[in-house]
Amino acid sequence: MKWGRHKQEISAAGALAALLVILAAASPSFFSPGNLRDLALNNAATLIVAIGMTMVILAGEIDISVGSQFAVCSIASGWLATIGVPILLLLPSVVVMGAALGAVNGLFTGMLRLPSIIVTLAMMVTLREGLRWTTQGAWVQNLPANFQWLGLGQNAGQWLIVVLAVSVSASFAWALRKLGAGRAIYATGSDAEAARLAGIEPRRVVLGVFVLMGALSGLAALLNAVRFSVVPGNPGIGLELKAIAAVVVGGTAITGGRGTVAGTLIGVALLGTIGTALTFLGINPFWEKAIQGAIILAALVSDTAFGQLERLQIADFRLPIERRK
Amino acid sequence: MSPQEPYTESRLTTIGNRQLEIGNLQSTPPLGQRLFPNKEWMLLIVLAAECIVFSVTGSNFLTAGNAFEVTRLAVELGLLALALTPVIITGGVDLSVGSMMGLSAVVLGSLWRDAHWPMPVAIAAALILGAVGGGLNALMIARLNFPPLIVTLGTFSLFRGVAEGLTRGIDNYSGFSSSFLFLGQGYVGGLIPAQLFVLLVAIAGWTWWLHRTPVGRSLYAIGYSAEGARYAGIPVGRRLGSVYLLSGLSSSLAAVIYVAHIGQAKSDAGTGYELMAITAVVLGGASIFGGRGTVLGTVLGLFAIVILQNGLRLNSQPAELAGILTGALLIGTILADRLSSRARAQAHIQNGSEETQVKNSQVAILSAVILLGALIVAGSNWYLVGSLRHGSSGGSAGSAGQPAGGAHKTVIAMMPKAKGDPYFISCRQGAEDAAKEMGVELLWDGPTDLDPAKQNEVIEAWITIGVDVIAVSVENEVAVSTVLHKAREKGIKVVTWDADAQKDARDFFINQATPQGIGYTLTDEASRILNNKGEFAIITASLSAANQNEWIKHIKARLAEKYPDIKLVAIQPSDGDRDRAFAETQTILKVYPKVKLIMAIAAPAVPGAAEAVKQSGRADVKVTGLSLPNMCKPYVHDGIIESIVLWNTLDLGYLTVYASRALSGGQLKRGDQNVAAGRLGRIEVQNDEVRLGAPFIFNKTNIDGFNF
Repeated sequence: MKWGRHKQEISAAGALAALLVILAAASPSFFSPGNLRDLALNNAATLIVAIGMTMVILAGEIDISVGSQFAVCSIASGWLATIGVPILLLLPSVVVMGAALGAVNGLFTGMLRLPSIIVTLAMMVTLREGLRWTTQGAWVQNLPANFQWLGLGQNAGQWLIVVLAVSVSASFAWALRKLGAGRAIYATGSDAEAARLAGIEPRRVVLGVFVLMGALSGLAALLNAVRFSVVPGNPGIGLELKAIAAVVVGGTAITGGRGTVAGTLIGVALLGTIGTALTFLGINPFWEKAIQGAIILAALVSDTAFGQLERLQIADFRLPIERRK
Repeated sequence: MSPQEPYTESRLTTIGNRQLEIGNLQSTPPLGQRLFPNKEWMLLIVLAAECIVFSVTGSNFLTAGNAFEVTRLAVELGLLALALTPVIITGGVDLSVGSMMGLSAVVLGSLWRDAHWPMPVAIAAALILGAVGGGLNALMIARLNFPPLIVTLGTFSLFRGVAEGLTRGIDNYSGFSSSFLFLGQGYVGGLIPAQLFVLLVAIAGWTWWLHRTPVGRSLYAIGYSAEGARYAGIPVGRRLGSVYLLSGLSSSLAAVIYVAHIGQAKSDAGTGYELMAITAVVLGGASIFGGRGTVLGTVLGLFAIVILQNGLRLNSQPAELAGILTGALLIGTILADRLSSRARAQAHIQNGSEETQVKNSQVAILSAVILLGALIVAGSNWYLVGSLRHGSSGGSAGSAGQPAGGAHKTVIAMMPKAKGDPYFISCRQGAEDAAKEMGVELLWDGPTDLDPAKQNEVIEAWITIGVDVIAVSVENEVAVSTVLHKAREKGIKVVTWDADAQKDARDFFINQATPQGIGYTLTDEASRILNNKGEFAIITASLSAANQNEWIKHIKARLAEKYPDIKLVAIQPSDGDRDRAFAETQTILKVYPKVKLIMAIAAPAVPGAAEAVKQSGRADVKVTGLSLPNMCKPYVHDGIIESIVLWNTLDLGYLTVYASRALSGGQLKRGDQNVAAGRLGRIEVQNDEVRLGAPFIFNKTNIDGFNF
């Protein structure tokens, strides 16, 4: 019974395990500590964004503006550093900025009850084009020397990023399971009306998850930016699809109400490993996108392989926004 | 869980409205409500406002030629949006339409060129492929009951990935017969674009199917409540399947038109079209929750977007503004809809007559959006005029040689391949300098990302405006040349710079370096760094980037010819993304430990590769490639980047504007030996090429002298 509830996570984990076994047989050097560290670092930002996305999707919404939020926050972090904001203040200010961007989404979807896919589609275009218009694609250069690795040096900086990403995952996993607010997200996502009758304010929950999503995009942007000594002009393109795909491959239901952070972790690991794995296996990179698509579809089909397919409602794409006032 | 529950309350009111409408239908409701059940008339106001604003502010906006040009641009997008309308009405979505365009285009091209199938058969095969792809979506959504968003997200990657895999990203197909190209480029009766008829037939067909057949009507029932529709005896699975099947078919039809329009089939066809098409449908009043939407609304939404883009272009406004305004329009429309339906629900309860008040509030919001757009346009025009006056009065002292400068200012329209690319940003800097010196007006616009279709659209707009010179950095030779021919026929001088078009499509080519020159210089530099022996790897832009593939071809040729001991072990894509180049370099260093040199041939990839080498601590590995001095300086001084190969991009932009001005003023014509170019002195001209000079190698000793 307990395992049955997590069958999608298990099938994703199975796929990841299969990939790792193939790699272990064909190219053991994949498991060198250096490579694992690099993989963790390169996927840390995606993981943090995907955790925010897990909550958004659990609440029955979706956010396709995260790539643009990530871009705005990346540029902002570089820009703040060049105008002399102390490094210690950088983290809180970028996170607050991300939260503010998320709050705009949250206000439109939570409070005005507009469909999140449309609101965030509009935000995605507006933020991205607005950024291009103001910066004209210019890179942020001449950053202070202590911007890279937040002044901690490469080794400590790398550890800091990994530790932060892991502790963010762990604390959100815990909060979603144990805290009232976490359970309220599940409740809202599975049945907003019932949640309301049980004394939960679905509108506030939706606003909350979007604010958290924005804050996590900001955090991810900063942690990614400090790995380098310049900030490029147009980062984070396609990040939203990467994050959504990882969340879904990790077994979270797109209709909301079901899913775990652990599953998302597996999803990020699976999709984030493929590209590197192909190079290690000597497979042509041209097929990477096709393989990723096949994995997403396979994750869906594996659901049936486990036998009892819950009869999902047809046309499941609907998002439970049209709640009662 | 049962996702229906949350809707109970709102559904009651909606269904209440619906019943009311059905009740009214028998007694024939007012024409307005029958025509515009979802308040599509709001879009008519938007369209009218757009037309009024643009005809006042833009040049040649309100001409028959421009009107037809707009419709030509709308066809591919329209076919997708029309197919998405029933999909969204059933409460689903199809994200894979753009990728399906890419796959169909590639298959069409390869069947025609490589398998030597006759064109009509190849087209039929591409259409069947579309239906099969749509069928895959249909199978998973209608039969296996998976959420459409996820299924089509998967096929979105899958279709594009297969297209890239089939072509190895490199192949592209061109040289189609003129009778096929007529479908996308020709004019019926000298004025009406040929593909417009396809769109008209599609509109008529979808209208009939969706609004006049029982099957179409049943889609609305499915969208309201799939469960309810099933109880009412509607075969829900089969109906849903047909919707996705048709969506795939329609995408491949759009691909055929696209290939004929662009004259080339490549795996990147239709990138990003899915979002624009969804935007058009939602703007047209369809509810993303299903159960609501009309073909008429979609068509209006489509033209609201396309005319906005066209009008802003004719006003010489940046393309970014179109995106921002589309976003605002999207939120404005659904917000007005939401507020009005809430108010209407209240009005029903109170049995009051607040309809007019509601409509006023909608109009107010829309007007605000339009007014905002108009203000931006007007404000910047005013600013532009002001700055021009200022510029010409300031420049008149310096340019005594141009007495007619006050009467007509030469307008030079200059296009990069992609506006966001740091390389072109630095070219623009040089171009602006030259424009200021000579007192000419410089229009700078182009696609934000590499996109041959967008290049054509912008050039069409410039032809309509009637600029003096068009200077293009050509993304795709075949695609752009047709429209450049058209510009020349209209008496506009055409220059290409950075990358050439077909020779007869332009007057002069500002040549900074040939692909061969670049490839050879890079290879020679690699051999120097490697001491003539060893392994190296290439980080390219995207796998389908035409320039980079051309350079790689020459690099390989040079290796084979001159350096047998140097081995190219891997070519990895970076998608022009610094972070991706970083990760790919890390992997290469581990998988190929003998690699001693990374050659990155896209501007953002060089610093990415250098950072990866730096963090790996491998002092024995060097980086070289093609990039801009500023973003590489720190690494060059660290000794990680040995050298970068490039020309002075500032000078390239500068020279292009000088040559363009000389061309339009008659000081530059075929047969000239050289041309005066301001601070650059006299520049060599050979036949129809203006030569900037050989590629330049930046290294530790000279890089600080350059700032771009």
